[in-house]
Amino acid sequence: MNGPAPISIRDLSVFYGDLQVLKNINLDIPAKRITVIIGPSGCGKTTLLKSLNRLLDTAESVRVQGEVVLDGENIYDPRTEVTRIRKKMGLLSQKPQVLPMSIYENVAYGPKIHGLKSKKDLARRVEHYLKVAGLWDEVKDRLREPASSLSVGQQQRLCLARGLAVEPEIILGDEPTSALDPQSSQNVERRLIELKQEYTVVVVTHILRQARRVADYLAFLYLGELVEHGPAAEVFANPKDPRTRAYLTGEIS
Amino acid sequence: MNGVANGHLGKRKRADVFFRVLATAAAAVVLLSLLLILGTILWKSVPALSLSMLTHTPKGGFYLGKEGGILNAILGSLYLAVGATVLAFLLSLPLALYLNLYKGRASKTAVWTRFFLDVLWGVPSIVYGVFGFVVMLALGLRASLLAGMLTVALLEFPIMCRAIDEVMRLVPLELKEASDSLGATRFETALKVMVRQCAPGILTGVLLAFGRGIGDAASVLFTAGFTDRIPSSLADPAATLPLAIFFQLGTPFPEVQQRAYASAAVLTLIILLISLAGRAMSRKVTRHVVR
Repeated sequence: MNGPAPISIRDLSVFYGDLQVLKNINLDIPAKRITVIIGPSGCGKTTLLKSLNRLLDTAESVRVQGEVVLDGENIYDPRTEVTRIRKKMGLLSQKPQVLPMSIYENVAYGPKIHGLKSKKDLARRVEHYLKVAGLWDEVKDRLREPASSLSVGQQQRLCLARGLAVEPEIILGDEPTSALDPQSSQNVERRLIELKQEYTVVVVTHILRQARRVADYLAFLYLGELVEHGPAAEVFANPKDPRTRAYLTGEIS
Repeated sequence: MNGVANGHLGKRKRADVFFRVLATAAAAVVLLSLLLILGTILWKSVPALSLSMLTHTPKGGFYLGKEGGILNAILGSLYLAVGATVLAFLLSLPLALYLNLYKGRASKTAVWTRFFLDVLWGVPSIVYGVFGFVVMLALGLRASLLAGMLTVALLEFPIMCRAIDEVMRLVPLELKEASDSLGATRFETALKVMVRQCAPGILTGVLLAFGRGIGDAASVLFTAGFTDRIPSSLADPAATLPLAIFFQLGTPFPEVQQRAYASAAVLTLIILLISLAGRAMSRKVTRHVVR
């Protein structure tokens, strides 16, 4: 039913010091679908997401065991070049974090560091991805202004354009709408649904209604354990584990 | 019951008034002493300032000669402080980036490095002077612009580095992650994101250190020497404004004392100009800072 899984998580455990926050996770994330990871706060959702592009590397005293296989390559292999892995994934964080530069430079930053030099190509790429992110019309006359002058909702779409501009295969969203107003949230959700035509999308959320709206595939994490996963419609309609059922009905949160 | 509550409220109000008076008084003392210092310097030194004072070196020896000006000290101080600030910057920026990007902020290395920098910050400048002097002798150098620059660079380094470091510590982790997640290397994140985000703080740190460096007398006392001439190479001794004050105020000749007062005025003016320039530039470099 689903395409080949471009991300395979195998026996993944993550420790913060002595505390184990992810317990032996096994999950295949289907390509060109939106996979939503749900679960109560502190269950390890964000850790799982960050483990996919090795952002955990930057934190102190974090230990990762197991494998994350992307295009047949274990990204935790010591020989793997981390910048190349990260180029394959665009990240949307909880609070949009624009870079301290102009709107234009924010989008051009990624392509530039990966070696795109021609000004014309850069300009074309910036315009293209600002359009894909649905921001072009709002910013086309003020591209040289500081990115921090945009509203929070616009900043999140700028972050989306910035992530897409390095032409990744995968989009990671860490509660990407939690800092946004309802209208901006809807806007971002709509973009994500459009984007699954070409990208594999993984989104973490604690908003169940959002999960229902966007998810093709659902994974439920509870206390660091992957309790249940499967096609979203099936899990929503007929959760197998009592904990999943309790969470979906709002008994645990 | 009511009486007790009123009594308590009265006590709180009195405490409030007392503190307000204390705070206002403290502010007034600070402001007044600042004005008093500036006023005294201006009153004593404005009569001494003239074009020839600023454009001539002393004639007949700085301690005895009654003619000439303080150009030797102005240029000597500027050369020395600019050189020292550049050297200190070349050490401070990489170290601050290292502490904040390459090492975890709370790592042992970072904590100990900060501690040592704080200790160095507190070392009196005469001790740097002695240290510079000892090293200078060991290397067979004589008092020179170069030896002065190196010593003042050492004096400026902990100040500049910790000032930059404190600003960098405020950069949210998410900003680094945003750059990392686009596939940037540490170096790219450092140069293109951290430095731009911290540009106003870096500027402040550099100017703070420059001000400290140009105004310090003790560290250059043994290392830069003092001379009537304008240094023409790094190996020449160099006069400095603080020492121009120190040496020339102590003479019995009013004409020589004039040069000391003029030096004080010029030094104050340079520091004032630096602060103003810093403010003007700061507005420009804050444009893109993300809050």
